[in-house]
Amino acid sequence: MSLPRLPDGLVAVVKRDCPTCQLVAPVLGEIAARGGPLTVYSQDDAGFPPSVTASSRARDEDLALSWHHHIETVPTLLRVEGGVEAGRAVGWVRREWEELTALSPLGSGLPAHRPGCGSMSADPSLADRLRVRFEGGRLASRRIDVAELEDEIETAFERGWSDGLPVVPPTPARVLRMLDGTSRAPDEIVAAVPPDLVPATVEKIAVNAVMAGCKSEYLPVVLAAVEAACTDSFNMHGLLCTTYFSGPVVIVNGPIAARIGMNSGINCFGQGNRANATIGRALQLVVRNIGGGLPGGIDRATFGAPGKVSFCFAEDEDASPWEPLSVERGFARGASTVSLVAGHGPSAIIDQISRGPESLARSFAAVLRAAHHPKLVMAMGALLVVSPEHARVFAGAGWSKARLRGELEALLLLDGDELARGAGGIDEGIPAQVAAGRKLPKFIPGDLAIVHAGGRAGMFSAVIEGWVSGARGSQLTTVEVRA
Amino acid sequence: MTITLLDPTGERRPAERPRARRPASLDGHVIGLLDISKPRGDVFLTRLAALLGARGAGVRRYAKPTFAKPAPADLRRQIAEECDLVIEALAD
Amino acid sequence: MHDIADFESRDVPGVFVASSEFSEAAAAQARALGVDPARVLVPHPIQDRTDDEMRALADAALAPLLAALLAAV
Repeated sequence: MSLPRLPDGLVAVVKRDCPTCQLVAPVLGEIAARGGPLTVYSQDDAGFPPSVTASSRARDEDLALSWHHHIETVPTLLRVEGGVEAGRAVGWVRREWEELTALSPLGSGLPAHRPGCGSMSADPSLADRLRVRFEGGRLASRRIDVAELEDEIETAFERGWSDGLPVVPPTPARVLRMLDGTSRAPDEIVAAVPPDLVPATVEKIAVNAVMAGCKSEYLPVVLAAVEAACTDSFNMHGLLCTTYFSGPVVIVNGPIAARIGMNSGINCFGQGNRANATIGRALQLVVRNIGGGLPGGIDRATFGAPGKVSFCFAEDEDASPWEPLSVERGFARGASTVSLVAGHGPSAIIDQISRGPESLARSFAAVLRAAHHPKLVMAMGALLVVSPEHARVFAGAGWSKARLRGELEALLLLDGDELARGAGGIDEGIPAQVAAGRKLPKFIPGDLAIVHAGGRAGMFSAVIEGWVSGARGSQLTTVEVRA
Repeated sequence: MTITLLDPTGERRPAERPRARRPASLDGHVIGLLDISKPRGDVFLTRLAALLGARGAGVRRYAKPTFAKPAPADLRRQIAEECDLVIEALAD
Repeated sequence: MHDIADFESRDVPGVFVASSEFSEAAAAQARALGVDPARVLVPHPIQDRTDDEMRALADAALAPLLAALLAAV
């Protein structure tokens, strides 16, 4: 829809249902008589104001002109030269009107100034409808009409758009509002989503973000999560096809986490925080709806995990004694990032007794050793989430994250004879020719990530067990959040 | 007033869901005849039952309690279990 | 139509019979549901038909019904 053009000269936008517009009606008559050309657009009554001849009046019936020229208050007086706005006065301010019109005096007998009323094009009750009318053309997605007697929440279920929970119906108005959360164009392609490798535009992701229940300010994080998920290194396709438990786990770093109210503390893996819950959910809906990755279809997970509905949290950087994950991954400290890791969980590390770092590190190693299976090594990743109480033990002893990691690596260098198939009476394990007489690390360097999160009370840490690492599996992938 | 939703999918498939696969013939199949309980429908369905029976199909008759609502869940489940094909009649 | 859509989603092919008056409403409902259930239309009116007339409608509807229920050759 092309921008409604303003006629040259002076343009006033008014509505009869406004005391200030009534007040200035005679002034408009003065301007028309002395200055001109003047065109007065009325938002409601075509006969208003009577002080101006009919040929100088017009009706902005559908509010298109008011909308496109950002008229928020009536009366607004504009000066237009060559079709372009050269100045405007909002409300009645004598001095400004005299300047704009180059007429003086104007409106003698009127007060020097009087504020205007809300423009009809800015009326909150009309806002959605107008927005869809004037901006709906920006949206390229296929429209689906839900008939009067249908329930739009049921429609989403019937069409297979849901992850099992109700979704917020993605109306054009909601999607337009969601798109306010980014400066990126709606038709910009963000990624090709596995398994079908369908191009996901900002708009399509916004539709799914609406369905997930996101606020528009979460959208940049969702976009970054989708970008990260669709990289070769993260290997979303492989993660979908596996019979294993894992799904994408979203970790957010940087200032955006606090800005959008994410939870890095009490119950950060659990329910109750809108940003955590809906960002993780939006990613899964994108994979499902755009990529076509459906359970029972390409997703043949034996169990899956509750986290496949949503698993998203922010790292607690403020209370952390260590550098955040984003900095470890090479990003600047002030940057906001999304890191994705394949995982499920969490499993618990209880240690309410250890006062020193060596003992606590051994507790961590004991639980990490058993991740996936005590006899399986060098194949899979894990994410260790250290709680504030546990982090204090390490910090108090001056241990950096690197020191902790080094200690864990040493403790997790395991005796191959114990890992070999058949050892301990367990058939599972490492082939004897690989294991016998050797020491094997539980995790290949780089496969154990460490972050800091959780409530300030509780002497527990957590292990989010990962999936197969390396080229055949998935690797932790970090993407910067763009506005 | 209709509500408009935007399609969240990659739009690779048509907006409509495809129909169930059809059998090649009636042989060995059971057809459920579901009467929506509007007047005259029963006469129509009785005739259809005779015609279909003559063609070698098994026929079972069912009726909804009211035409004004979708069939109760139990009835739909029963029909889906007992029949291979369904004819629902007669809406006017 | 909801019933037929439900049967189709359970992999039970279905078809509904309606009078020609129903045609537009059926199309609208189909669009809303995102399905296109098979339908056979019979000439309006229905309510005041005699038994013989109803049986004649059934005879005429048989071929379209079979076409809707069986795989195309």
